[in-house]
Amino acid sequence: MATYSKAGNAFVLDQVEAPRGAGLRPGQSLADARAIRPDLCACAAEPSADLALLDAIAAWAERFSPVVVLDPPQGLFVDISGCGHLFGGEGQLLRAAVEGLKRQGVRVRAAAAATPGAAWALARFRGPSLIDAGGLAEALAPLPTAGLRLEPQAQALLARLGLVTIGQLYAVPRAALAARAGVGAVTRLDQALGRTREALSPRRPPPALFAARRFLEPVWAHEGVARAIDDLCADLAHALNQRGAGTLRARLRLFGLGARERAIEIGTSRPEANAKALARLFAERLNAASGAAPIGLEDDGFDDPDLGFEAMRLDALEIEPLREKPRRLSGLGDAGAGAGGGEGAGEEISALIDVLSARMGRGRVLRPCVRAARLPEAQGFRPAITPRSKNPYSENSKSGCLSAPDGVLRRPLSLFPRPQPIEVMAALPDGPPLRFRWRRVLREVARAEGPERLLAPWLASPAARPRDYYRIEDQAGRRYWVFRSGLYEEGPPGWFVHGLFP
Amino acid sequence: MTLAFPSALSEPSALSEPFGARAPFATLQGALHEAAPAAPGEEMAALGFALAWGIEKAAAPGARRSALVLAGDGGAFEEVGGLHPEGMGAFGLDLPQALVVRAERREEALWATEQALRVSGAVVICALGASARALDLTASRRLLLAGERGSSTCLLVCAASHAGAPSAAWTRWRVGSAPSFLQSPEAARELGPPAFHARLARNRMGAPGLFLTLEWNAHARAFTIREPAASRRHMVDGAVGGAFGDRSAAPRRGRAS
Repeated sequence: MATYSKAGNAFVLDQVEAPRGAGLRPGQSLADARAIRPDLCACAAEPSADLALLDAIAAWAERFSPVVVLDPPQGLFVDISGCGHLFGGEGQLLRAAVEGLKRQGVRVRAAAAATPGAAWALARFRGPSLIDAGGLAEALAPLPTAGLRLEPQAQALLARLGLVTIGQLYAVPRAALAARAGVGAVTRLDQALGRTREALSPRRPPPALFAARRFLEPVWAHEGVARAIDDLCADLAHALNQRGAGTLRARLRLFGLGARERAIEIGTSRPEANAKALARLFAERLNAASGAAPIGLEDDGFDDPDLGFEAMRLDALEIEPLREKPRRLSGLGDAGAGAGGGEGAGEEISALIDVLSARMGRGRVLRPCVRAARLPEAQGFRPAITPRSKNPYSENSKSGCLSAPDGVLRRPLSLFPRPQPIEVMAALPDGPPLRFRWRRVLREVARAEGPERLLAPWLASPAARPRDYYRIEDQAGRRYWVFRSGLYEEGPPGWFVHGLFP
Repeated sequence: MTLAFPSALSEPSALSEPFGARAPFATLQGALHEAAPAAPGEEMAALGFALAWGIEKAAAPGARRSALVLAGDGGAFEEVGGLHPEGMGAFGLDLPQALVVRAERREEALWATEQALRVSGAVVICALGASARALDLTASRRLLLAGERGSSTCLLVCAASHAGAPSAAWTRWRVGSAPSFLQSPEAARELGPPAFHARLARNRMGAPGLFLTLEWNAHARAFTIREPAASRRHMVDGAVGGAFGDRSAAPRRGRAS
């Protein structure tokens, strides 16, 4: 079995899966390969599908560590520093990873080593192994130089010089090696041996802090998950407290037995480092998401209840230093806090915002946001939890009271998302209506003020018609904000109710 | 018939003179009050009345600076469109203080209201749209208890069709809009400040039947009572002013459980 891709004018094999003696190798042309093995089953390579699969495997591998690096076309680095204890040691972790992937039908070769370069070489040329920093040189020595991820020219040069194993390179003077095989080769060797650091860019930005739990038995009952969340939040809060920081955004990831995983994200309106508060936010999200059903089983197409979650990780995605405020030690002054309010109220409100947003979704807990905009429909609400970087209104929303000194309401309290057409009878073509029919009721106009002409920004919408707004009160005292769309000269105007006044 | 709610006033001086020019909404006793449109089509009046009440309560001298939360379910603003931030500001609302919660279902809105009532000193306006079932006593009782525990206030705005359902609210008002009251000839075509007819349909502390015509001063954040004499006249015989389209519901006299 092989895959092929087009190189120049010929089809060339690039991945081969065949017995050693079959005479097939990557780089062979497809025609030759077919001549050698007429029964060859070859299919066109799909690099994008391969990459997608690799990415899916990487997502699965995030249960072992938050730092997973893609190494296309086939490789994956997982930085397991400090993660081994969750699995009973790094050897156990390696075994769990290999077995988990094999269960899913992936052929896997894996190795763990003190450096990414060494792990790369060991995985490809030695098989499952676990090498700590002290044994690196010895373990790498018998491996071929191909294990160093060298440039093809450097690789060919070394082969010509008769340097077959990595161990042979140890004895070569560095200057000579650098002069002939390039500086890259020396760097690769150093990286494999841990003499220099290697920078890898993870698939996802790693969390600032995280806490993880792995379960002996898969967990899928709601209570079990809630317990685990409590533990994770306590761990994370401990880590946060050590840094004097709080989290603004945290994501809980639940890793299923199969390739299934779920993520629950919460945001807070101010840095939060309290385990109970964090746990409550997650609990609200879980309650909102699952209701009575076991969590995670309702919306991802898996309905086999035997599958549970084998690991959970809580990532603090954004952290910010906590500004500790002096606390009032005595209850004195609380009663007299008066209109000035207290920190207590502010904290209560932000806690309220967090809980509501966690349960109902960020888009449903809003703050009014008034901007300098010409058209009324440009005004709106913004989520009460808005990341600071994405909040363009932070300085505008400071302005508090917008009521005019004369107390006249120039804008309606409510606005229809879409202006509602009305039938109007007006005394003058460019005057306010005398009576109008809205919602099938004829309303006699008792008082009217206006017009106030509002124009759309001409650059953004040059074809928009000007609107003349009137504030109108009918005989019963109900008030409307109606407008006439377009100028009288341009043809019959359209009349609309756009909002209501109390 | 006794005057409407003397015991509801915190100032003893108000016992003899229930209202001056100012209505005592900000100091009204009780953690749950209810406003309903006097007739279908008056939803905006009920909402505006409750919002004005909330603003007055939150801005009252001595009030803790806390949150003013507007929670509504999916149908709450169906009749009136959506809230307009600029208009809310013009109405006197302190925008940084305000929080708007758009719930989808009524249970969610009630849950959010209950959560918000835990914030001490908060004023929570819970607007519920019309639905097949009126709010039951248990639900309103929960709000009342949450408000009492948090020393916060809940103003419930419900649909006209549910105004007669049992409720734990301390006072229940039927609100309609009132015509502007600018009488001078040069202002004959001008709109005055927002005006409401408010009828006290149920009162846990006294007799119902009070009828007020209120004007809302958005800048001073205070209600003023227009023509108090006329209001009292309405009140004395217990009759409702002729301005209401809906005169079918008699004032409820039963006391809350």
